[in-house]
Amino acid sequence: MNPQYDLIVIGGGHAGAEAARVAARGGIRVAMVTMLREAIGRMSCNPAIGGLAKGNLVKEIDALGGLMGEATDRAGIQFKVLNRSKGPAVQGPRAQCDRDLYATAVQELLTAEPNLTIVESSVSSLIIDGSAVRGVVLGDGARLSARAVIVTTGTFLRALMHSGEVKRVGGRFGEPSAETLSDSLRALGLELGRLKTGTPPRVDHNTVDFAALEEAPGDKHPRPFSILTDALPQPQILCWLTYTSAFAHELIRANLHRAPMYSGQIQAIGPRYCPSIEDKVVRFAEKERHQVFVEPEGLQHPWLYLNGISTSLPPDVQDAVVRSLPGFANAQIARYGYAVEYDFVNPEQLDATLQVRGVDGLWLAGQINGTSGYEEAAAQGLLAGINALQAIRGGEPVILRRDQAYAAVMIDDLVTHGTTEPYRMFTSRAEHRLLLGCDSVYERLSPVASQLGLLDAERQRRVEQRIARMSRAVATGTIELRPDRETIAWLAGAGLELSAQTTVEKLLQRPNVDIDRLVAAAENAQPEFAAAFRALSEDEREGVVSRLRYAGYIERQQREAERLRADEALRIPQTMTYALPGLSREMTEKLTHVRPASLGQASRIPGVTPAAIAILRMHLRRGERVA
Amino acid sequence: MSEPAFDTIVAPATPVGLSALAMVRIDGPGSTSILTELTRSGLPAVRNATLVELPEIDQCVVVRYAAPHSFTGNDLVELTLHGNPVLVEQVIAACVAHGARIAEPGEFTERAVLNGKLDLVQAESIADLINARTALQAKLSLSNLEGVLSRKATAVRQTLLEVIARLEAALDFSEEGYEFIARDEVRERLNEAQREIAAMAETYRRGHATATGLNAVILGRPNAGKSTLLNRLVGTDRAIVTPIPGTTRDIVRETIEIGGLPVTLADTAGLRATANVVEGIGVERARAAARSADLIIYLVDATVGLTAADQAELDSLDGDVLLVFTKADLTHVNAELSISAVIDHGIDELLRVLDHRVRKQFVASEGALVNERQHAAVLECWGALAAAQQALATALDEQMVLVDLYRAANSLGLLVGAITRDDILSEIFGKFCIGK
Repeated sequence: MNPQYDLIVIGGGHAGAEAARVAARGGIRVAMVTMLREAIGRMSCNPAIGGLAKGNLVKEIDALGGLMGEATDRAGIQFKVLNRSKGPAVQGPRAQCDRDLYATAVQELLTAEPNLTIVESSVSSLIIDGSAVRGVVLGDGARLSARAVIVTTGTFLRALMHSGEVKRVGGRFGEPSAETLSDSLRALGLELGRLKTGTPPRVDHNTVDFAALEEAPGDKHPRPFSILTDALPQPQILCWLTYTSAFAHELIRANLHRAPMYSGQIQAIGPRYCPSIEDKVVRFAEKERHQVFVEPEGLQHPWLYLNGISTSLPPDVQDAVVRSLPGFANAQIARYGYAVEYDFVNPEQLDATLQVRGVDGLWLAGQINGTSGYEEAAAQGLLAGINALQAIRGGEPVILRRDQAYAAVMIDDLVTHGTTEPYRMFTSRAEHRLLLGCDSVYERLSPVASQLGLLDAERQRRVEQRIARMSRAVATGTIELRPDRETIAWLAGAGLELSAQTTVEKLLQRPNVDIDRLVAAAENAQPEFAAAFRALSEDEREGVVSRLRYAGYIERQQREAERLRADEALRIPQTMTYALPGLSREMTEKLTHVRPASLGQASRIPGVTPAAIAILRMHLRRGERVA
Repeated sequence: MSEPAFDTIVAPATPVGLSALAMVRIDGPGSTSILTELTRSGLPAVRNATLVELPEIDQCVVVRYAAPHSFTGNDLVELTLHGNPVLVEQVIAACVAHGARIAEPGEFTERAVLNGKLDLVQAESIADLINARTALQAKLSLSNLEGVLSRKATAVRQTLLEVIARLEAALDFSEEGYEFIARDEVRERLNEAQREIAAMAETYRRGHATATGLNAVILGRPNAGKSTLLNRLVGTDRAIVTPIPGTTRDIVRETIEIGGLPVTLADTAGLRATANVVEGIGVERARAAARSADLIIYLVDATVGLTAADQAELDSLDGDVLLVFTKADLTHVNAELSISAVIDHGIDELLRVLDHRVRKQFVASEGALVNERQHAAVLECWGALAAAQQALATALDEQMVLVDLYRAANSLGLLVGAITRDDILSEIFGKFCIGK
């Protein structure tokens, strides 16, 4: 009997939405099963998309044909490029979003896919046939069959919310938990762990005195995430900044015994980079104040999100802490902060496509893999979706390289190292960061999606034109400039001197070159340069300038990446036996545990020695030679 | 992956060229059958040197090893032939004709490792076995390093970790309201690291000298007594001594032990302007030898005294120069070091001074860099730090500075263990309150 669907995606969060949509676009029949249709695309935590390294993930998703960038552009109410003063490789676009508009945007984008069916139901278990997954059993006992299943259940697996001494079962305020799905995963031999995350209190907008807060505006010229967006539809608003005080810290210290993290009520590990306010006060006692970003949850939304004081202290303490903030003396908390504990699957049990090793037809993506953040979840969802699609179509797996995408760095880190705390993307996790700037994302990734048939015609056209415009401008770097009268006059107009022959690239490497003035005055002296640069948008121009300015550094990283590529290309069969002469038992165990896809991945497994890699390399080469 | 069986390989085990004997090795399951094909007779006993005929080729001695009791762990045959390349080629061609493949460089050793007969450390000297960039070198070097040096390297590693973590934090957590590290502090801390690294690089001179010995050059104007001193120190009439200035033309070298190290003494042509082409070349060679010497003994004829020409030569020398007045038997010398080979005056004192200098300046006490790889790693680290300073000086932002700092950390990693991304994040989260 033919299965009802090719692919079932469990969950409608940021991972589920990308996975379902990309697979449906690839032409297979997809069902998304979600507990609450209206919660699809919901932002459970802060109302913002992007940020440092995370913004790069969103751009990568856009370049691969995903939806997060588009949805953000439709719902964004304050856009800001972080690290604007630094090189483009570490600039991170971020957008404050209207959370309702965001969910609506995601839902509209999904509804527009003809191959995608949305099923509103819980999932009680997976249909397992030997070592293969062949569908799901719904909450009412009905069965949905499929060739493959992607699990994107976020924080909902055996989820437990903590607010002070009170515990409630549930993955998000007012929403249930998936209590039995964990058992199906265990039945497949997967090991599950427990993680924790938290949210801050939300405050009623009308009870805050904004005059007492610092303003935190967005960029004057907001920049969209998606290459498809010409203009941002929403009005742009302000955010605010305030600080905690010694008084609040004292209050928190006095009530620590009532905080679940300190009373022992929560044992799971939370992220070090996103500590609760009680953690901050304890671990950094010397710090006199902590920042609190006050972020509107939407244009019309009555709530403010207090970014920086995530907490699971009991409500009376939260009230007192919030009211101690300047401008919040009369504040009413609309929803108290809480911590969530949930099951996760240690991702070392997955292969580089996020498929569960040893199980046919099962992929995991998003927070279930021990990550945190919408963007991390979405990027995994997209790649899991692409790979499930490929498997169903009989295509090759899609494994991106670490020098190609932050998404690849993340997935490789996850499946190679596993994780003990919620994993968040940082630029410092990427060893070839200079190659992973937002400016070059379409060159790096769109060809991959294009080859898989995942870019629609409009996106394809825009990508090609952008790449052509930028490479034309980059090519002007080799133009030679002689100190003739015309050139000297041109450069003088931009405040530059020229005494000896140079190139445009070398000129741009001088500190403090004002590219706008340079382009503005170039018409007569260098019409080719002027034309190429005038054709660029502001962000394209910044990208081109940085490529020329940092050409030496970029080339060095490229060379280094190429050198490492040989090891990435040396694939290791999944059936490899690691009990090899010359390998210690410890090495054999580590390698067997992770089952790396390539020698490069093997070399990144913690504790695997270079000697072991040398031996593995010999065995693999010998395999090639004899074969 | 199922283990592919070994095929049969053949290669000469001795260098190609004329020699008394040459060895050819055949390894793999086909080695014994190839042997019977070559000899057209029965198999010799295992592990017995046996004289056999290779019809139409040569006579040879065969030793046959049966798996797993051989160097490679496979069936292995060693043929010892007469050392004629033509014979070797013929034998190898015959083996290939019978199904063997010519081995790749290092392949016998590789098989030994694959079969668990050698561990990798034992096999490390096989050039192509280990990728030079791997930190195996680190591990190996680490075991060689002890005490002071490794403590120094660890301190530099810590400095780098702290600076890298703060620069990374400035990139990844720029919204947190911290100034993680001031540029001036980066500069200062890198300066400090550079000084430490330079001091480590400095140990290589001693370490290397201890491992390989020193070069000393005897210089001076013609007829200053250079050859006499060499002969006296060596204890034989090694160099020709005549009263004629300019007797020594080519460099004469002899090695003696000073301060516990082998020191190669070079007797050189006397330094003077000369129209004689041969002598001119000799003078050039003397100067070249002085440039690469660890130690220079400059002789001045006491009966003539220190001339302007001597002073000019001395001024042009850099490095460690020991000024010695000779022919002390002929005149009164008021100098720290004066010798007379004739009356055996001052030689012991000279040796004592040399001994002291060698011990003080060249003998490595503990944990010096001894091999070129370590030295290169330290120099690379220094160069990367200098490049990072350069990036700082030109106001490039953190990510460019970091490119070079990671290079520095990686090269240092060859000595003390790499700095991992997790180390960096732990440092950041341990020292700063991150998380808005």
